[in-house]
Amino acid sequence: MKFEWFVALRYLLSRRKQSFISIISIISIAGVGLGVATVILVIAVLDGVEHGIKERFLANEAHVILRLIDNGFYSNYENKIEAIEKVEGVVAASPIVYSQLAVFREGSKQIEDVILIKGIVPEVEDKVTSFTKFVNGSYDFQNDDLIKEARFLNDDITITGGIVLGSRLAQRLIVNEGDVLRLVVNMTEDRFNPGAFIPLIRNFVVIGFYESELTVYDNQTAFIDLETAQKLYQVDGQINFILIRLEDAELAPEMGEQIIAATEFAILEAPTTTTWLETHAALFQALKLEKIATVIIEALIILVAAFNIASTLIMTVMEKTRDVGMLRTLGASRRQVMGIFMIKGSIIGMLGTLAGTALGLYICWLLSTNVMRPSPWIANACIGILSCSVIGIAYRRIDTVSVVFIIFAIIFSINMFITPFLVLSSTMRTVLIILGVIALLIFWIVVLIKSWQKLSSIWKPTFLALGLLAIGFIFFCYIKPISLEELGLSAIYQMNQLPIKVNWFFVCFINMLSFAICWLATIYPAWQASNLKPIEALQYE
Amino acid sequence: METLIRIDNLHKSFYDGDTELKVLKGVNLDVHQAEVLAIMGASGVGKSTLLHIIGTLDRPTEGNIFYEDEDVTTFSERELTRFRNDAIGFVFQFHQLLPEFTALENVAMSGLIRNTRKVADENGNRYSSSKAYEKAEILLESVGLSERLGHFPSQLSGGERQRVAIARALINQPKVVLADEPTGNIDDKTSGAVLDVLQDINERLKQTFIIVTHDSRLSERANRTVHLVDGKIADE
Ligand SMILES: Nc1ncnc2c1ncn2[C@@H]1O[C@H](COP(=O)(O)OP(=O)(O)O)[C@@H](O)[C@H]1O
Ligand SMILES: [Mg+2]
Repeated sequence: MKFEWFVALRYLLSRRKQSFISIISIISIAGVGLGVATVILVIAVLDGVEHGIKERFLANEAHVILRLIDNGFYSNYENKIEAIEKVEGVVAASPIVYSQLAVFREGSKQIEDVILIKGIVPEVEDKVTSFTKFVNGSYDFQNDDLIKEARFLNDDITITGGIVLGSRLAQRLIVNEGDVLRLVVNMTEDRFNPGAFIPLIRNFVVIGFYESELTVYDNQTAFIDLETAQKLYQVDGQINFILIRLEDAELAPEMGEQIIAATEFAILEAPTTTTWLETHAALFQALKLEKIATVIIEALIILVAAFNIASTLIMTVMEKTRDVGMLRTLGASRRQVMGIFMIKGSIIGMLGTLAGTALGLYICWLLSTNVMRPSPWIANACIGILSCSVIGIAYRRIDTVSVVFIIFAIIFSINMFITPFLVLSSTMRTVLIILGVIALLIFWIVVLIKSWQKLSSIWKPTFLALGLLAIGFIFFCYIKPISLEELGLSAIYQMNQLPIKVNWFFVCFINMLSFAICWLATIYPAWQASNLKPIEALQYE
Repeated sequence: METLIRIDNLHKSFYDGDTELKVLKGVNLDVHQAEVLAIMGASGVGKSTLLHIIGTLDRPTEGNIFYEDEDVTTFSERELTRFRNDAIGFVFQFHQLLPEFTALENVAMSGLIRNTRKVADENGNRYSSSKAYEKAEILLESVGLSERLGHFPSQLSGGERQRVAIARALINQPKVVLADEPTGNIDDKTSGAVLDVLQDINERLKQTFIIVTHDSRLSERANRTVHLVDGKIADE
């Protein structure tokens, strides 16, 4: 073993007597570890939310929309669709007649809403936006029984066909399946009354509801048959929108050009594409901003951990000043002295990073795994046993620290054992439990700092292993997937539980970053140690 | 008698701002091969300072120190480091053992440092850690501590620690061992044992010692005693 490693490892593992690992090392490892764990966890949640939202949006959103700049109609679209579907990376394309119309219910005398109407071919649209998956009811626009029924009931008016309404839109209009909805298709000038207009009205029967849980759609969209729509606007054989699904939604911005080229529109027609990212630009911008902000905060967290390492090392350098003097007297070079402290710091950084990664991933796993958890009472018992053993190790007499313990113990027992019987809001309870856990952790650390050295070298690893197991188990009992439903957020985020997505690339990146920062943090204290003058170091008090 | 170290017109001043504290004012001294030289003098006269400069831990303000005609005051920092490892053994008043290491490891330490320099022994073999430990064990035996190899400094008595420190100074067969009041911090009876060890080593290994001391019993055992008075070696 190289000399520097020999000395560094000894400094890391022990104080005066042969022992397992020094408490200062443990605290600095924990400092780095907590930083890394937080980073991994927070990024996993943010990624999960972004991924979840994207997935929800993409479930019924076309990846690319192709239209002419003036939303104009064009014929011969079958050829264009065929050409688009041949482009590599395109899954399917669906022709749409897209327009806005005013609606009112049968019997009402005034316009009640203006909605977006999409004329579609359900089977084709299905391939692009999974249309049928979100329809509650029927989407047989021509022949549904409800249409026949309505025709039978309302023999005084002409029923054009069926319509699928956005569910919230339907709620707002207060219409049910089988009700007749009137669409103002067009205006014609009144021949007998110049200057006045007569609305051209078509009647549709509500045959189903569109429920995507996405407000944008459910609130303002309705679907009718493509051919019917073409007849409505007298644009037989023409459409104005093509919706396209890609194999990889993320590639949408790059695919636009290719798609336009494939359609062979004349330049003057000015074909243009819109991607899902642009459609929801505001949302994804917000998500991105949030992530950037978080990454900055996370970098700061790691920086704090690095300062922690640096200060620990500066402390050990100070503590080891006389040793450094003696090592230099014995003929150790400045480089070797520097090496000793850098190795020591780097090992702390590495252990901390690895421990933090393990912790972060474990919590991610707990937050995303729905398995039955043991009752919190078992966890409480576990915490109790652990606390008792810490106390058992530390105390054979009463002093100030044991008074501190009693205070913490009281706070803790209030939190853990009494709160279940109190009528408290869940936020209040959570706050109390978090406070209790923090109090307990502080207590454990205080006690361990005082008593760690008294432990024999067999007990230290045993205690550490048992402690880790117990804490892991307590985490397992308490940390569950966070239900957005219970928090009343499921409608906003359109997810049932807080999604977690571990980005392995990022985990690797954070590991390397953390290690690099820790390594950098070792340089100054190590350099300081190597710069000590042997004589002054030897005489250091 | 062969001269090992020649100290020529050595001056040392300490500066505190503008005030100059002249400690050594022209020390001239020859140290002979295989002798035990005692340096005596009042407290604060500059004995330790002189010893540190001889041991290359500090540089003189003026003057030269020749080790067998090699002037160490001209050495670079790097050369000094190597020189300290090879040629100097130090024993301090406070043992200065490394607390995290056992007696054996403390003694072997400077051998381990030497191994990292990839120097070869007289037969052309590289030193190895196991060799350093072997040698350390023999040295600890010779200072009467063969039962204490695995003990940490905190588990040893004052006299025992000082004997470990002596063994540590010897591991690389230095040209000279510099001892700064080696018995200054231990009681009379124990210091007797420490002195026995010093004398024994000097006789067996022909090891040169320079010992700074107040202890008249120590100077009695020395081959030669010089006195440091007012920054100079007093005439004998
Ligand atoms: N690093 C230093 N800076 C300033 N003064 C010093 C330093 N080292 C020693 N001295 C001074 O030099 C004088 C001699 O010190 P020292 O060599 O330790 O004496 P001795 O060992 O003979 O008791 C003392 O007055 C001391 O205060
Ligand atoms: Mg002195």
